[in-house]
Amino acid sequence: MAIAATIPSAQFQGLRPVDAQGLTKKIVEPILKTENLWKLYRAGKVEVPALRGVNFSVAPGESVAVMGPSGCGKSTLLYTIGGLASASRGTVLVDGNDLATMSDAERTKLRRSKIGFVFQRFNLLPTMTAKGNIAIAQYIHGDGFDPHRFDVVTKLLGLEGRLNHKPSEMSGGEQQRVAIARAIINEPKILLADEPTGNLDTKNSDIVLEMLRQLNKELGQTIVMITHNPEAVTYFDRVVHMRDGVIVDGIPAD
Amino acid sequence: MMGEMILRNLVHRPIRTFIGIIAIAVEVALVVLIVGLTSGILSETAKRVEGVGADIMLQPSSAGVIIGMSNSPMPVKIKNRLEQLQYIQSVAPVLLQFNSSGGVELVYGIDKSFDEVSGGFVFLQGRNLQEPDDMLLDDLAVQSKHVQVGQKLRLFNHDWNVVGIVEHGKGSRIFVPLSTLQELSGATDKASLFFIKCTRPEHTDDVIAQMKTVFPNYTIRAIREYVSLMTSTSVPGLNAFVDAMIGLAVCIGLLVIFLTMYTTVIERTRDIGVLKSLGANSPFIVRAVLYESAMLCAGGILAGIGLSYALRAGFLRAYPTLSILITPEWILRAAAIALFGAVLGASYPAWVASRKDAVEALTFD
Ligand SMILES: Nc1ncnc2c1ncn2[C@@H]1O[C@H](COP(=O)(O)OP(=O)(O)O)[C@@H](O)[C@H]1O
Ligand SMILES: [Mg+2]
Repeated sequence: MAIAATIPSAQFQGLRPVDAQGLTKKIVEPILKTENLWKLYRAGKVEVPALRGVNFSVAPGESVAVMGPSGCGKSTLLYTIGGLASASRGTVLVDGNDLATMSDAERTKLRRSKIGFVFQRFNLLPTMTAKGNIAIAQYIHGDGFDPHRFDVVTKLLGLEGRLNHKPSEMSGGEQQRVAIARAIINEPKILLADEPTGNLDTKNSDIVLEMLRQLNKELGQTIVMITHNPEAVTYFDRVVHMRDGVIVDGIPAD
Repeated sequence: MMGEMILRNLVHRPIRTFIGIIAIAVEVALVVLIVGLTSGILSETAKRVEGVGADIMLQPSSAGVIIGMSNSPMPVKIKNRLEQLQYIQSVAPVLLQFNSSGGVELVYGIDKSFDEVSGGFVFLQGRNLQEPDDMLLDDLAVQSKHVQVGQKLRLFNHDWNVVGIVEHGKGSRIFVPLSTLQELSGATDKASLFFIKCTRPEHTDDVIAQMKTVFPNYTIRAIREYVSLMTSTSVPGLNAFVDAMIGLAVCIGLLVIFLTMYTTVIERTRDIGVLKSLGANSPFIVRAVLYESAMLCAGGILAGIGLSYALRAGFLRAYPTLSILITPEWILRAAAIALFGAVLGASYPAWVASRKDAVEALTFD
């Protein structure tokens, strides 16, 4: 734990060793950090805790896979750190901003500039072409259409020939690549992916995982991905395991 | 970008879009035609009175703006006293009679002095009134009655000989001799109104001033004043009726837009979640729904304008004497009313859309 000394102590107080281990490779402030994060869902009159004190942090440029049994709170964690859902307790720091203290509108604004989402079910707008689906993200981001960035991203994801197709005219693998393009078109600080290969066959899964790996290794894109795919371990820097709403360990991938 | 998204959404559901457009089109056409019909009839009536060519009109004290609504004719001999006033060129007594069998028509009973005031009819066929049973029709009345010069026409239980067809625009569409009409209606030596022509139009105000001292108990109006009074406001209840009809039309548009947009928002729950995940805020979602409804409405307005003209053409073909006035002003107003209704109708769906929970929306099936 020699490296621990170089970490600003105040910043990391309360971190469990597993998290500190994950940060040993990068001696910088985490881009994402949760402290004692709780999320309660209200089901009728009872409150169901989906997250029960999650401590989790991700360094810039890191790629982290989150694994765990169904219903353990993985999606909830992802939505909460992405600002789609509000935290019930604890803190969520994204690039230094505490989402837990923010209003809905403020979280939306932060999400717009710093977060990219990829979902298991692709979630492309069905009436728009691939190009439209990517461009709408640029439009919402507010910088208008940036042709250069658009070209770079679509080339990277091998979408050049598919841009004028609608989701219904594309394979699952292609749709997910469009979704990834849409998620990274505005250069988010963090890419959050919820089982992005869950609806894909092995071949397309491998393509998508490889692309995420490239994004991480070549562009330095920070990625947090939920997956059930054991192979994902080989593509990512680190794997985090969740159970019953808490993170139970953190094992460096290498 | 938002425009493209909205257009694609509208195209994606052609039947729903079509129904929305039709509803707005019906709304716009209803407004344009109801207003067009009332103002058309009123302005056409006003124009015909103006077309007589008189400067002043004298009516019984109880006379409203709508001619012939009063049933208390005046003695014809008033004419003699009028003719003694200064600056008066000619005076034409007219007895009005409504024929309400097969539509309401105003029949003018006139004598030779009507020509002096009006400068004479323009004859398209035939000749002027001479015999007691003669009748003149204007060209539009001829079209709707399907009669010709030389034929007989039964009116007020009396057989008339159609002796001439005149150009429309001089007071009425049907003219008969004053004395015959007086006899038939039991109003011997009576007249419903007097048209007065001054020696020069500039004398109108002077003449009216004189007349008011001599006939303090009568309604005396300059024709130009009469024409300006001939709007829906001078007919009791008409404005309220028109407003109620417009309100009904707006309700149709509003309800259909509400349902259309509400269904759309429910159907696109997941898309709304996607937009939110991309960072779209509530105003963005609200705008997207309102713009979509406005775009639908714009299509409906265009269709509605077309529908208005088509319906008017159809009605005028079937009923040549009908007058429907479609003005740019009222097209714009109908458009504004429709747009207002559409935005109002879409505002609740827009609010619902903007309030959707992003996570629930994203997992919606
Ligand atoms: N909207 C919700 N309302 C109530 N309970 C929910 C809601 N979403 C998730 N949960 C519950 O929270 C727990 C975690 O769910 P989730 O984060 O989706 O798990 P995972 O993604 O790991 O399968 C589960 O027990 C689930 O039933
Ligand atoms: Mg999940």
